[in-house]
Amino acid sequence: MKLSRFGQSVLIGACVVVTGLSPAHSQDREESQGMVLLRGLPTLDTNHSIAIVELDPESDRFGDILSEVEQPEMEHPLHHLYYSPNGRLYATGLDPVCSLAEIGLSRDAGGAPVVSGFTCLDTQGQIVGEDIMWATSNGQEYMFVTFMGGTGGDDGGSVGVFDPQTNESVKVIEARKSQVGEGEPYIMYPHGISAFEDRMVVTSTVHPDLATGVGNVLTIIDLNTLEPIENITVENEKPLDFPSSPVEVLFARPSIHPDIEPAILANTMFGFETWKVPYDAGSKTFGKPEVIYSGVANETAVPLEFYGNEDELFISHALPGVVKRYELAALPELVSSGPDIVADPGAHHMIFFTSASGRKLIAVQNNLLNLGNGAEDDPTDVDFIADLNAHTISVHDLATGERIATVDFKERYNKGVDNIEGLFGSGFVHHH
Amino acid sequence: MFRVLLSLTAAALVFVAAWVVWDRARGPTATPIADFSAPFVFGRFSVPADNPLTQEAFALGRHLFYDPILSGNNTVSCASCHLQALAFTDGRAKSPALSGGVLEFSSMSLANLLWGQERFFWDGRATSLEEQALIPIQHPDEMDQDIDALMVELRASIKYRRMFRRAYGDVTAENTAKALATFMRMLISSDSKYDRYLRGKARLTAQEEHGRKLFMAHPDTKVSLRGGNCIDCHSQFLTSGFRDALDGFSNNGLDPDGTLPDGLMAVTGNSAHKGFFKVPTLRNIAVTAPYMHDGRFKTLEEVMDHYNDGIVVSDTLSPLILEADNAPDNGPDTIGLRMTPEEMAAIIAFLHTLTDEVFLTNPQLSNPFDGDT
Repeated sequence: MKLSRFGQSVLIGACVVVTGLSPAHSQDREESQGMVLLRGLPTLDTNHSIAIVELDPESDRFGDILSEVEQPEMEHPLHHLYYSPNGRLYATGLDPVCSLAEIGLSRDAGGAPVVSGFTCLDTQGQIVGEDIMWATSNGQEYMFVTFMGGTGGDDGGSVGVFDPQTNESVKVIEARKSQVGEGEPYIMYPHGISAFEDRMVVTSTVHPDLATGVGNVLTIIDLNTLEPIENITVENEKPLDFPSSPVEVLFARPSIHPDIEPAILANTMFGFETWKVPYDAGSKTFGKPEVIYSGVANETAVPLEFYGNEDELFISHALPGVVKRYELAALPELVSSGPDIVADPGAHHMIFFTSASGRKLIAVQNNLLNLGNGAEDDPTDVDFIADLNAHTISVHDLATGERIATVDFKERYNKGVDNIEGLFGSGFVHHH
Repeated sequence: MFRVLLSLTAAALVFVAAWVVWDRARGPTATPIADFSAPFVFGRFSVPADNPLTQEAFALGRHLFYDPILSGNNTVSCASCHLQALAFTDGRAKSPALSGGVLEFSSMSLANLLWGQERFFWDGRATSLEEQALIPIQHPDEMDQDIDALMVELRASIKYRRMFRRAYGDVTAENTAKALATFMRMLISSDSKYDRYLRGKARLTAQEEHGRKLFMAHPDTKVSLRGGNCIDCHSQFLTSGFRDALDGFSNNGLDPDGTLPDGLMAVTGNSAHKGFFKVPTLRNIAVTAPYMHDGRFKTLEEVMDHYNDGIVVSDTLSPLILEADNAPDNGPDTIGLRMTPEEMAAIIAFLHTLTDEVFLTNPQLSNPFDGDT
């Protein structure tokens, strides 16, 4: 009997060892798990990492890191996560040694998802990767990546075109302002990216050193030729006395909702505005840009991301830390669909999922760049965007916006949180 | 000198005796499967808490799977109807029965059983791999083995006593089922051309890509979308079926009401399930002919012909199949997808990308009694 019990203990223990989880936990649902990019904080002696975290407040593992791979060799962390149409996970990166990476995911013997590592990709010298989207050019699908630093220099910036199967660089779309002729379209510090039919738009945001230069235009790229064809200035108020710094962009289009008239929507990080640029698909011409949301008038600042589900569009504003919501069908106009979701300073990326009981939730990652706190002698502190880094993910009821729970990554893990993506995608339909 | 030799011999004998006693007295070892890794995209799987994946259980299960000792006349093993080279099918419409004639159903492919599946067999009559494992052994037309007699045979084997002891402890029917279930769970196929395509390591040809798109699409003539409608039922085509208990069963229009077999209804008693059979994995489908639960179609071309214009209407026919038509304006002469020959060929080309030669030849999954594995 003793041997039998011992044997049982060995088996149960082996199960726990094999799964890394208790038997009950190995059955955890995964719909509520998020992929996060964590930044080590210099004053707290922690490393950057990629992690899987449980975000269902109904789970007894809420806020737990379930799997993590650190990057102690990288000075700067990975930046943004994106799933490809085939389910491959990519991350852009801020460190010149890894401006674009493919992240490995697998499952252990208990079935739990694990981050198995990452592979840095050859970007042909392009640095400071920002956003990724998959689009077609002449019937061929490519992975397009904005590199805010481009191949370097004071007016750098490029859009990298990659083979989506092999990850090989196919083309570097570059047009330096200092090298193109007067009035000719240029690409500078590109960050946001979106596309409709054969037109792609990227923004001109800010030099990666946050000091050398700031942009104020959108650049239109012809997807037939993969060349820039037009700049559109989106600048009005200057509450910070900087250029407007358009950051994220969404080409509103009928495929998002059949009632939508095509138009570009762009958020200006330092102008605090949301712009609309109408598009006539017949003549392939853009109309006059207009401000459709003023942060100065509405007491919000640093508008950042667009996310949309089946019937709403969500826009994050880092200050005071809110997510505003609009009727999807009314785009490109911004017609409110409900009260703000009050998150934390730095409100930025978000995912949508359901709790174990079926409650619809939104999780908001609250950090602008996860830069440090000067009061702690953190060398990554940048004064003009202080107070934009709550280091939290707040989880809210999607219908009411009520905050249900919060994970404070700095308090719990001595790290900041740069980005969030759902383990199975963000649960959103429209981001770019 | 003699005393020294005697002492050494005695010491050696004591050591061997101690080792034998220790080996027999110790409990199971439970070594985790070395370097286990499964594709993330296959989704979540779960292993019974009382039967974790271990090296010892896998080794035992593999031996049992290939050993004819499991049958009453010691001539039939699991592998008799589940050949690795044929993705663990047997290439027959229906396997031969011990009593003469043939069995009721075609031998099912065994692959990626870790994922999905809350019911096993074509008609879903087993609710776990452990339960499934003992049914063919005891079936009079399959292996016709009395389970108690089998335990006596296994306990008589030094090798099996040792393997059971290391894997689970005692030689029991329950542990036999667990070991077989573990071996079947470890039949992981993840290196087909399509798997490599998903990993970015291979490109599909234009025809295969065309077939992939058709496979994934439900036809919608309103938006000129042509589709093969495959994904509607075969959404888990890379693994082995649906997680939700009865979602992976369907009536795919093979027979009219008058001759419609019971299928899942024989298990649930629900007349709405009459004619429902398990939607099988499509992994390695190109090597698992003949097709359907009764092996009535010899080739993939015949299968495509069935779905293209051979659908037979019955009360429980899947509505997803009934309404899938690429040419509804051509009249109601036939029911089916009504695709072009080129489209059907493209889907078949895509199905061939699901063949995993590494799996079909993996020596770790082969017969351990062959001597060179």
